[in-house]
Amino acid sequence: MNAQRPRYFRPALIAGAVAGLLSGLPVVSAANCLCCLWIVGGAAWAVKLLARETPGLLTSGDGAVVGALTGLVAAVVQAVVSLPFRSFDPEQMQRVMDWLGNLGLNVPPNVADEAARTSSAFMSPGWSVLLLAFSAVTLTIIGVIGGIIGVAIFAKKASRPLPPPPPAIPAPPPPPGPPDAS
Amino acid sequence: MRTVWAWTALGSAVWLALIFLAPWLAARGASSAARVVYAAFSPTCHQIAGRCFVLDGHPLAVCGRCLGVYAGFAAGLVLYPLVRGFSRLSLPDARLLLLLTLPLALDGTAGLLGIWKSPIGLRFATGLLWGAGLPFYFVTGVADLVRARRERAAARTLEKNAPRT
Repeated sequence: MNAQRPRYFRPALIAGAVAGLLSGLPVVSAANCLCCLWIVGGAAWAVKLLARETPGLLTSGDGAVVGALTGLVAAVVQAVVSLPFRSFDPEQMQRVMDWLGNLGLNVPPNVADEAARTSSAFMSPGWSVLLLAFSAVTLTIIGVIGGIIGVAIFAKKASRPLPPPPPAIPAPPPPPGPPDAS
Repeated sequence: MRTVWAWTALGSAVWLALIFLAPWLAARGASSAARVVYAAFSPTCHQIAGRCFVLDGHPLAVCGRCLGVYAGFAAGLVLYPLVRGFSRLSLPDARLLLLLTLPLALDGTAGLLGIWKSPIGLRFATGLLWGAGLPFYFVTGVADLVRARRERAAARTLEKNAPRT
């Protein structure tokens, strides 16, 4: 750990906001299917930003802290960004049902009703808070992993080199001893 | 480090159990409880039923790929003491993880781009491979964090107890 403690919050806020935004948008968020790309990548990016601002080497513990904060910020931003996209549209659902029917898939008639009921439930404030809590816990853990991976990838290259050691001082000559008796 | 490893192993076991608990509850009519468990995993998984393994006629709480990642994480935890022991605080080379990521990245990218539709078994296998590498970073990093905090706390205690001149 550095003598001067790294400032985790700013890099976490920037990277977490970007990761949360990308994770909350409908199509773009699909990339999270690839190793939670936005969250892991966001946490690793936060490490890179932190390494740029911090003199000396970062430890994996630093990566864990900045990654956790990044995940937490991402969870909040994701919840806010995805809110408008979670609203239920019955017409859209009916179009999906028709499309599945055209593909020859046997969709039970109660599926649309069930989806409507579930979507409405997920829109309630209680469910939203519960989802945010689950999301915060999960994304924080994933962020920790991303931050530590970020240290493994970026820390050596991104960190500033340690200052060179001071030049060696030549040893003073020994004091003149008593004249040899022999 | 042993403590961090043990807590992570416990958490991983509970996490895996919850994935199987959701369909188990649904099959026994406890739909409200099942919905809460499904919701817990919804922020990180699409949960498309066709891409999930099935238990008692109900999909698991996560897709095949995510299940592979979590199962791989648990398997990596089992391997951790055998491969690295509990005394090394240095992270493994990042190239190792990139290598383990490659199959999942290729399979996932091809799937997203619509180039091919991989079977659920392949999704599970690529997730398993990636997940198995993660504990080697997670446990090492968290153990380093705990060690640094303990050292700081010990230094503070020493400062408090030091005689003032």
